[in-house]
Amino acid sequence: MAAGVAAWLPFARAAAIGWMPVATAPMPVPPKDKRRGHEGLIVLNVSGTKFQTWRDTLERYPDTLLGSSERDFFFHEESNEYFFDRDPDIFRHILNFYRTGKLHYPRQECISAYDEELAFFGIIPEIIGDCCYEDYKDRRRENQERIQDDEETDATNELVPPDMSFRETMWRAFENPHTSTMALVFYYVTGFFIAVSVLANVVETVPCGTAPNRAKVVSCGERYALAFFCLDTACVMIFTVEYLLRLLAAPSRYKFVKSVMSIIDVVAIMPYYIGLVMTDNEDVSGAFVTLRVFRVFRIFKFSRHSAGLRILGYTLKSCASELGFLLFSLTMAIIIFATVMFYAEKGSSASKFTSIPAAFWYTIVTMTTLGYGDMVPKTIMGKIFGSICSLSGVLVIALPVPVIVSNFSRIYHQSQRAEKRRAQKASKEAGQALVCKTNPNFEMHHHHLLHCLEKTTNHEFVDEKTYEASCREVTLVKQVSCSSSISSSPHGLTSCCSRRKRKTFNVPNSNMSVGLQGSIQELSTIQIRERPLTNSRSSRSSLNAKFEETVPLNCDQPYMTAAIISMPTPPGTTPEGDESTSSTDYSQANIVRVSAL
Amino acid sequence: MCTPTKRTQWREDLQHFRKDHGFSKKVLLNCCLVRRIVTWASPNPKDSVEDELELSAVRHRPEGLEQLEAQTRFSRKELQILYRGFKNECPSGVVNEETFKDIYSQFFPQGDASTYAHFLFNAFDTDHNGSVSFEDFVMGLSILLRGTVQEKLNWAFNLYDINKDGYITKEEMLDIMKAIYDMMGKCTYPVLKEETPRQHVEVFFQKMDKNKDGVVTIDEFIDCCQNDENIMRSMHLFENVL
Repeated sequence: MAAGVAAWLPFARAAAIGWMPVATAPMPVPPKDKRRGHEGLIVLNVSGTKFQTWRDTLERYPDTLLGSSERDFFFHEESNEYFFDRDPDIFRHILNFYRTGKLHYPRQECISAYDEELAFFGIIPEIIGDCCYEDYKDRRRENQERIQDDEETDATNELVPPDMSFRETMWRAFENPHTSTMALVFYYVTGFFIAVSVLANVVETVPCGTAPNRAKVVSCGERYALAFFCLDTACVMIFTVEYLLRLLAAPSRYKFVKSVMSIIDVVAIMPYYIGLVMTDNEDVSGAFVTLRVFRVFRIFKFSRHSAGLRILGYTLKSCASELGFLLFSLTMAIIIFATVMFYAEKGSSASKFTSIPAAFWYTIVTMTTLGYGDMVPKTIMGKIFGSICSLSGVLVIALPVPVIVSNFSRIYHQSQRAEKRRAQKASKEAGQALVCKTNPNFEMHHHHLLHCLEKTTNHEFVDEKTYEASCREVTLVKQVSCSSSISSSPHGLTSCCSRRKRKTFNVPNSNMSVGLQGSIQELSTIQIRERPLTNSRSSRSSLNAKFEETVPLNCDQPYMTAAIISMPTPPGTTPEGDESTSSTDYSQANIVRVSAL
Repeated sequence: MCTPTKRTQWREDLQHFRKDHGFSKKVLLNCCLVRRIVTWASPNPKDSVEDELELSAVRHRPEGLEQLEAQTRFSRKELQILYRGFKNECPSGVVNEETFKDIYSQFFPQGDASTYAHFLFNAFDTDHNGSVSFEDFVMGLSILLRGTVQEKLNWAFNLYDINKDGYITKEEMLDIMKAIYDMMGKCTYPVLKEETPRQHVEVFFQKMDKNKDGVVTIDEFIDCCQNDENIMRSMHLFENVL
């Protein structure tokens, strides 16, 4: 797009003649053109396939290999062409980028080959057009993941480098049990003990027949209390040792302590130690019993051994909002029906529907089509509403679930894409900013055009901050500075503005007159600081770069007001005289500006 | 080959055909009713029949290179460069006002260049057919870049004279002035005031309107500009643009 608009610059400049009769001030001198014999075809021979294009087309992007003098390294004198020993099929796309300004990614090409070609020709992938960008990024990510996976499996099969410390070896052994036999043994032993511990917890509660000296049935846990206690102790010792070893070996202990697996480990072994510490009181033994429930969390330790459990956990975590919605809609339905059933059954005697919360149980059991039968409606209205409840239960539960499942799948992919796009946007814009620098020639002429407009209207372009600053400024300050300049030079307002403008346009003190040396230094230092701050300059180049504002603006008001206040009464420097010398400065100033962006 | 004049001629012919062939009033009414319903149903405000005509005539090829070379003051090479740039942005061969405004606005990112672009469009569109073809474009540029001072001033007068009646009134000048100031945008130094364009117009009229009759004629305009050194100098500003 920038290239296309650049072609219309002569038109825009010619149209500026329309402002000339209106202007009261003289116009700035146009910058000199740097003509470099820009007319001419260039032949690019890429592995035998000849491409031809205008020299101008290539020079639209002076930052790339083909647009800069770097291509001279590939010039082949005998055949008077530029020879590149690269892939011609991919080169076609690269050349199209110069022609149309859009880089496309062909699906049939290998992503790494494409990347290599882009890197060779100095083109940043971030400028790939929107049509192909997502595809490109997806494939690139896939490729990288595949490479990473390959590397990881390779890494695990590699011999351990001998200079790894004991700590690193241990951590590696914990994370990848397949690295050494010891690790594998440890893996299986811990797995076995987890299973044994869970099984013991379960068997503890099975009734084991009557005790020899009592009448009632006791559970196995109470009968063989000692055996179970020894088993529990052994398991907990193994788990403790494992936890401490992991803690020791972890590269970042803080991160390890915060991780989910370590919390599960702690919760699994804590009840035992708390039980040891606590005495056998009546009131605390209730709490102690509750604590034993937490022993079942040991089963979650299996998630280290099973990838599937981890994926399930992650899935649940990521679709939490959908589940929440399901729960909410169910709750709504339950409350509605429970209320209705309660009031319907209020009349009947000996009704089990004693309150609305009591009716919740009936509603849930009916809606999930369980139908225990412990609570049944007796009145006719109750039965009617009860049947409506069970029918709608099928709908309320069965219908949203597939919708939620598909919603979840869609939202998950969508959010992934939105995340991707958001993450890519920043890097994309940065890349575009880097690459979309156009001809300094174009910039030069464009700025001259804008300068002419400023002269016509006797107003300057400034950035937003400066504009706000000047709005808030005390008019007194402005009047003081402007009146002093008005008194000394014939073009009152214009000289004041032009001097300020010169601050932002020109390289320091190249065209200020001698009498202003001291203040020039002041102004020039302010110039240098101000240049990166002015948005108007960056917005002019944004025409080509197509980004809002990547230059962070931190325009301090003190700078602007200081500039105005410190400006001394200028001697009779006329703007005209300075204008004629400003031509050479344009190119310099503009080139500096572009690179500052 | 559909040149712009041929196109308008054809459209007129179509309208005459409709009138002359004595369609009964009822048929006409029904036709109009159907068209009205169609236009009401579709959000497109333009006439759908006209649309089709536009679409069919949208491919425009310019006159030959030799003819253009003879009519303008550009060399062959320059015309080639101009056409390539033109065709790149407008593959159909003509620019309509929207595209014109779009392109012109890109050069003035801080302000709103659409009003001035509108006046410019009217100045370039010499046959007033709603689109600027390559010939119009290149003729305009020839005057602006290679014309005599007289021709350039003539062109500028034509630009200011919005209704092309041969006189620039204060209202016309005010419109033009506002359009130019609009291009500056909001963030200017000093801050743009409401009456700045009006004051500028006053200054302009004081300078140009010699007989103080409230309008500026072409002769007053040219006379005055030729006596103003700044304006004379600025006319030669863009001579080596191409």
